[in-house]
Amino acid sequence: MASISDCGVYLPVWKLKREEIAKNTGLPSMGGEKSVAHWDEDSITMAVEAARKLKGNFDAVLFASTSTPFRIKQSASFVASALDLENAFTMDFSNSFRASTNALITANELVDSGEFERVLVVSAECLPLKPGSIYEQFYGDGAVALTVEKEGGAKIIGYHSSYQPLPGSWMLKDELLSYDMRLDAMFGYASSIQRSAMSLLGKLGMSPMDFDRIVASAPDPKSYEGLLKAVGAKPEEFFFRTTGILGTAHPLFLLASQLEKTGRILLGGYGEGADVIAIEISDPIQTNLGKMLESRKEISYGDYLYNKGFIANRDAPDRPPITKLWREEKSIIRFYGMKCRKCGTVSYPISRCCIECGAKDDFEEVKLGEKGRIYTFTIDYLVSPGNYVGDGAHPHCVAVVDLEGGGRVLFEITDTLTDFRGIECDAEVERTFRLLFEKNSFRYYGWKARLVR
Amino acid sequence: MEVAIIGCGVTKFGHIWDKDHDDLLVEAVYEALRDANLELKDIDAVWCGTFYPSTGISGNVFSDSLKFFGRPISRVENYCATGMDNVRNACFAVASGAYDIVIAAGVEKLMDAGSRGLPPIEGIFSIGMPVVSAPGMFAMAANRAFKEWRWNREDLALVAVKNHYNGARHPKAHFRREVTVEEVLRAPMVAYPLGVYDCSAVSDGAAAVVLTRPEIAKKLGCDYAVIKAIGMAVETMHPWHRPSESFLSFPATVKAAKMAYKMAGIEDPRKQLDFGIVHDCFTITELINYQDMQLCKMGEGARLIREGVTAIDGDFPINPDGGLKSFGHPIGASGVRMIAELAKQVLGKAEGLQVKDAEAGFAHNLGGPYSVATVAIVSKP
Repeated sequence: MASISDCGVYLPVWKLKREEIAKNTGLPSMGGEKSVAHWDEDSITMAVEAARKLKGNFDAVLFASTSTPFRIKQSASFVASALDLENAFTMDFSNSFRASTNALITANELVDSGEFERVLVVSAECLPLKPGSIYEQFYGDGAVALTVEKEGGAKIIGYHSSYQPLPGSWMLKDELLSYDMRLDAMFGYASSIQRSAMSLLGKLGMSPMDFDRIVASAPDPKSYEGLLKAVGAKPEEFFFRTTGILGTAHPLFLLASQLEKTGRILLGGYGEGADVIAIEISDPIQTNLGKMLESRKEISYGDYLYNKGFIANRDAPDRPPITKLWREEKSIIRFYGMKCRKCGTVSYPISRCCIECGAKDDFEEVKLGEKGRIYTFTIDYLVSPGNYVGDGAHPHCVAVVDLEGGGRVLFEITDTLTDFRGIECDAEVERTFRLLFEKNSFRYYGWKARLVR
Repeated sequence: MEVAIIGCGVTKFGHIWDKDHDDLLVEAVYEALRDANLELKDIDAVWCGTFYPSTGISGNVFSDSLKFFGRPISRVENYCATGMDNVRNACFAVASGAYDIVIAAGVEKLMDAGSRGLPPIEGIFSIGMPVVSAPGMFAMAANRAFKEWRWNREDLALVAVKNHYNGARHPKAHFRREVTVEEVLRAPMVAYPLGVYDCSAVSDGAAAVVLTRPEIAKKLGCDYAVIKAIGMAVETMHPWHRPSESFLSFPATVKAAKMAYKMAGIEDPRKQLDFGIVHDCFTITELINYQDMQLCKMGEGARLIREGVTAIDGDFPINPDGGLKSFGHPIGASGVRMIAELAKQVLGKAEGLQVKDAEAGFAHNLGGPYSVATVAIVSKP
């Protein structure tokens, strides 16, 4: 069996009060707030942000999400290249909210077999939710990444998986649907989790009393509480009131919330059947979950609709060909610059001749820094965020940033909508992986900067 | 170098919806020919500047407008310095003796593109990079200057007030109205800290000059002004990726000015020249241009405008014509128009806007993200 040795969480900067949704849609509020991605985030970018918190190299990347932006084009390989991995086995898990526990179980097998040493399991969700639909209040956006290797603070001691065909929730195109949510609650969730858990306990020769805590993602928070009550245990924090259910990422998010305390836990992932994994945490793993929760700002329903593309001008002039993106992947995605061997200048992007002294083909490729300071900036009303044609209401904030370790780069400043407080000369910013723009039915990714979170 | 300007033609600049680029070119070229007392058949070669392919590309932009066939015509494009680079190419061709009489013309139809600000151009920004509008590029210089030298929006507003004061008196300007500091400061933001009045307008227009060598001008019996020098330099279009870039000075201007001053034997422009026309695409650009053109030290640009040094009745008038601020900036035409304005001033023909005792002046055209600059010196013969 393998262990979890590190954990990174990513929550977008925005949180939306459910009362604000209720006020604007007329539906009753379910209370609390939910996590909302910025307009330039999706499951790929959030996965990269979560995974960047983890140290070291990986020889496999397992990506789990039901909201991958591309129907054909692997998300795991995007994550691998943004993380600048030399070579890795990459694989996407999808089509069920337990795709993340599927991936964790698979990672365990890959490591346990001895074929792979360090496996990245990363799950992200950014579901397209119809404004005014019941699901709008249920689901939030976020990502969680885990390092799975032989040794680590949290050891996987066993797992069991079972499936159960049930007309729960589904999505054909871009709308989350269900026949009747009560079906999942009454016939799916508790029975599936219990069935897998009982089989697992049987295999391990343990009883529920041998476990300190049980966390299991659920179609709704009440189902989780009901399950825990049924087995006579105390429910753990489910985060419905703070982030909403993070879809596929939710089981790993619940796991992340348990890693800072020692003890033996049962982790459940649900979706037409259940995965239950037994984990023994002997050495607590510090996560950034608390920091992520605290460093968020409130968003209005109107701005949320902008972020989700319902209010927006997303028209852009034609972009350079995708072949260019492929040729310049090292600069654009892996974010390498060049260091001139002649004059020592670090510059971006990689180019055959040095921008300061013109020396030809005499440089080494260098990975550029994570943080930097704004040299100068502007808030440009003729362009909208993402290089789209300006709508006059959503200006494009760009800054010339001097990076730590050298290199000067023009970045779009992100995680801002109309409030640019703090953007000034000498302000400290950090890099973040984002969607640059969508054009000609393709999504272009790259790096932007934001005020340090 | 000595090249004679023997004819100038400039259309009215503005929102000219009812004329196409060919109409404008015909108007400017025939006015220049009339001014030179020549006919189109007397022209040996032509340089024509256009920036946007939508205005026109290749020598055909000129040949088909005037039905002027069978002679050499080159189209020149070099960002917002297209106009004056066009004149530069024509000048050296005449000076070399390859041709005797040539036309340098420029035209731009911006209104047809129907956009706020300049129409976007495909493919000039690389994929990983955010797009910056033209005001955005110069706003970055303003924000750094505010930080470095404590300049403020009012300093910038004074540039708009001065240039609109002059432009209000120019019959061919796009905007013929004075503005106040309050109006400038109150205007909607375009790219912070530049508001609407900090920016030159999107306009249509055309301009043309007829050039020859002084001895031919004398033989023809024309009144003429002399182009004594044209300097030109190209820097990077990614100033934001060049670590040494200060955003407080535009190296292309500095180098083009040095070249032109050297060519014309000028050591102190404030003493040896009487006035200048600078590329005031944005108010901040004009202040930085003062410094780059060596009219004052670094950081002192704002002092010049505050003290009225560059007003039309000041010690060293800048943009007595009203500048791009009043004319707008039909890209291919602007640099050619600047040369025509210089000629008018040194010949004492700038009615209502005449700089006192104007014998010699400079014109400066700047393009791209401060990446292309041209500086010309024009004087009495």
